[in-house]
Amino acid sequence: MSDHALAEPRVVYNDAVVKKFVVASLFWAIVAFLVGCYIAAELTWPALNLGLSFSNFGRLRPVHTSAAIFAFGGSALLGTSFYVVQRTCRARLFGGEALANFVFWGYQFFIVMAALSYVLGFSQSKEYAEPEWHLDLWLTVVWVCYLLIFLGTILKRSEPHIYVANWFYLAFIVTIAVLHIVNNAAIPISWYSAKSYSVYAGVQDALVQWWYGHNAVGFFLTAGFLGMMYYFIPKAAGRPVYSYRLSIVHFWTLIFLYIWAGPHHLHWTALPDWTQTVGMAFSIMLWMPSWGGMINGIMTLSGAWDKLRTDPGLRFSVTAVGFYGMSTFEGPVMSVREVNALSHYTDWTIGHVHSGALGWVAFIVFGSFYYLIPVLWNRKALYSVRLVAWHYWIATLGIVLYIVSMWVAGIMEGLMWRAYDKFGFLQYSFVESVVAIHPFFVIRLLGGVFFLIGGLMMVFNVFMTITSESTERPREPLIAPAMLAGA
Amino acid sequence: MENNVSDLIVGLMMAGFGLVGLFLVAGAADVEMYIFGICLSGFAVLFDLGLIKRYHDRRDESRATARGNTHV
Amino acid sequence: MFIRHEFFEKNAIFLLIGTLVTIAIGGIVEIVPLFTIETTVEHVDGMRPYSPLELRGRDIYVREGCYLCHSQQIRTLRDEVERYGHYSIAAESMYDHPFQWGSKRIGPDLARVGGKYSNDWHYAHLHNAQAVVPESIMPHYGFLAETPLETDDIQSRMKALRTVGVPYTDEDIANAKADLLTQANPDADSAKLMGRYPKANIVPGNGHEVTEADALVAYLQMLGTLVNFADTSTERLQQ
Repeated sequence: MSDHALAEPRVVYNDAVVKKFVVASLFWAIVAFLVGCYIAAELTWPALNLGLSFSNFGRLRPVHTSAAIFAFGGSALLGTSFYVVQRTCRARLFGGEALANFVFWGYQFFIVMAALSYVLGFSQSKEYAEPEWHLDLWLTVVWVCYLLIFLGTILKRSEPHIYVANWFYLAFIVTIAVLHIVNNAAIPISWYSAKSYSVYAGVQDALVQWWYGHNAVGFFLTAGFLGMMYYFIPKAAGRPVYSYRLSIVHFWTLIFLYIWAGPHHLHWTALPDWTQTVGMAFSIMLWMPSWGGMINGIMTLSGAWDKLRTDPGLRFSVTAVGFYGMSTFEGPVMSVREVNALSHYTDWTIGHVHSGALGWVAFIVFGSFYYLIPVLWNRKALYSVRLVAWHYWIATLGIVLYIVSMWVAGIMEGLMWRAYDKFGFLQYSFVESVVAIHPFFVIRLLGGVFFLIGGLMMVFNVFMTITSESTERPREPLIAPAMLAGA
Repeated sequence: MENNVSDLIVGLMMAGFGLVGLFLVAGAADVEMYIFGICLSGFAVLFDLGLIKRYHDRRDESRATARGNTHV
Repeated sequence: MFIRHEFFEKNAIFLLIGTLVTIAIGGIVEIVPLFTIETTVEHVDGMRPYSPLELRGRDIYVREGCYLCHSQQIRTLRDEVERYGHYSIAAESMYDHPFQWGSKRIGPDLARVGGKYSNDWHYAHLHNAQAVVPESIMPHYGFLAETPLETDDIQSRMKALRTVGVPYTDEDIANAKADLLTQANPDADSAKLMGRYPKANIVPGNGHEVTEADALVAYLQMLGTLVNFADTSTERLQQ
């Protein structure tokens, strides 16, 4: 027992469930990267589709996106949110061990069943909402239990204030619940069949879907991970959050503006013009809170910049915030109708998504995990800090290869599709653009493989850390979270 | 205490889902529902077995601790 | 102002409610009018629900995730209209549950692919795309022609769609299976089918059973063919 816990009984945190989520997240990271590389190879060399129903690109692509977003990202979010909410509320998870375990196993069950259903040929074919109705219902049950645990823990906190990271986590949980339920409303053809039809049709379905789709980015891939940023960067840097006021402004403006931005996925389509214009206007406004958050994250390092040299884990987190700033600038640019006329339907979008998913989401997870794992497993340090540095550089190189090749491919596609010859005819047939981007598909695949290798390095490092001998490490001091926020 | 209440509620909920899974298997109109039903009830059974195991582990542990204390 | 923020920081329930209200505004303002403004979906002649075989073809399109590589939405841009045909209008996907507009063109847009190629071309292309277009990167879908189409649940599919607003009549549903078989049999009398589903494309079939490839080709061949734009004035396309 360390000596500062004498005054009041120490809260025994439920870290077992956090550990499970961390391990699951790393496992799914490798699955997601591996499937991603495979489908990138399928696009490069179509023979790899094998002509079999379950190995075709159309069925494997949702396996990749679900594994990356919901399995890897989701497990990291659920795990870290359980860790953070207990620390910052100084309270054990509400609902006991069984409920927390149900959320863990129930969520993993959802992921496995969803992946299986895609390869079996059951998909709603709504992007990022592919699981059929029975899996949607199951996820709803798990998610409500998750909300119950999270909110219950906040309600029984022994800290007067709710720490800023928890605002973001809470917004992520409730908004995803709303989006999930509304977008997946569907009528099954029978109670015993997995096939269903969406209750919305055509243009309405399109808007509901992209209201969901864009806010899956906004609340799953952004708000949740901002919660991670607001806890782990101050922790790793040993500095308070740069500006408390900025975090208030950041929080409310971000959640207010994000929800409007969906229609920018539907520019120049049959969606009414007024909706497109509103979506575009709010997407541009969204740039401001996004960069406010970036500034708040990066400036937290004021006075601790030297740690970037010694702590490669922190380097991951700070680079993540840098990529966050870049993607949240690129996004508003691409949401401008005239830019979108060029970029939409091309690989530029794919590159944009990956600068966010690899650069921001994966990097903030890596950074947080490199901090969290020695703490959780009570080890003095990671097995190898040099390996973390290697992971950092190879992953960064992978991202650069990925997004640069997709920029070039995307802009080339966009320009070729609209090119006219001197007689005023379209200059290129569609398939000529397919041939032209082939070399960039190879480079993209190379970038993905680099990122995968980095992921494997991390798994090895974490495995060696966990299996190494436990050292009696002084328990982390109980800093009141208000001190983190109140600077 | 909190753990026992939690065990009971979650355990009953899972038993319910296990039953739903069996009904889905019995009526399944397609392969996906069949597999989902089997996996759901299998998952529910394993989860509840895990709850029972943890309950006994906890009891053994507290007994061992109690015994250990009397010997000091 | 920032002092008052304590209110949210100390009351989890109000933080939750505040968040819900904040996120509800944008969604409500954008989405609800699409259901209430009457002109969002244009009133044009020619739109009809999918025939049973087309519907099953669409189910296969959805199942295989075709939308991941093929959009079904021609934008109002000169080059797209010249490449693919008249820009897509909202009415053309009014019976699409779910919509399949897509967001990426790894392959070309399919919103008006109907009638551009022969039935035989489609069968050959699905079987082995590279045999028809050597540079294509499309996977092979040969297994579709070898898989008999599940037809027994066609009525429950149409009833489910009727529940969500597709105007199938009792007569449509009663004759669903017969219509489905008729559309895959060039020798059958198709007058009733054509009465219910004008412009339906009869597929050749293989003579002994209806396959998934038949359904998919029937669906692809009607895409974008229903609305007659020559007779539709621009005013009627105003949203």
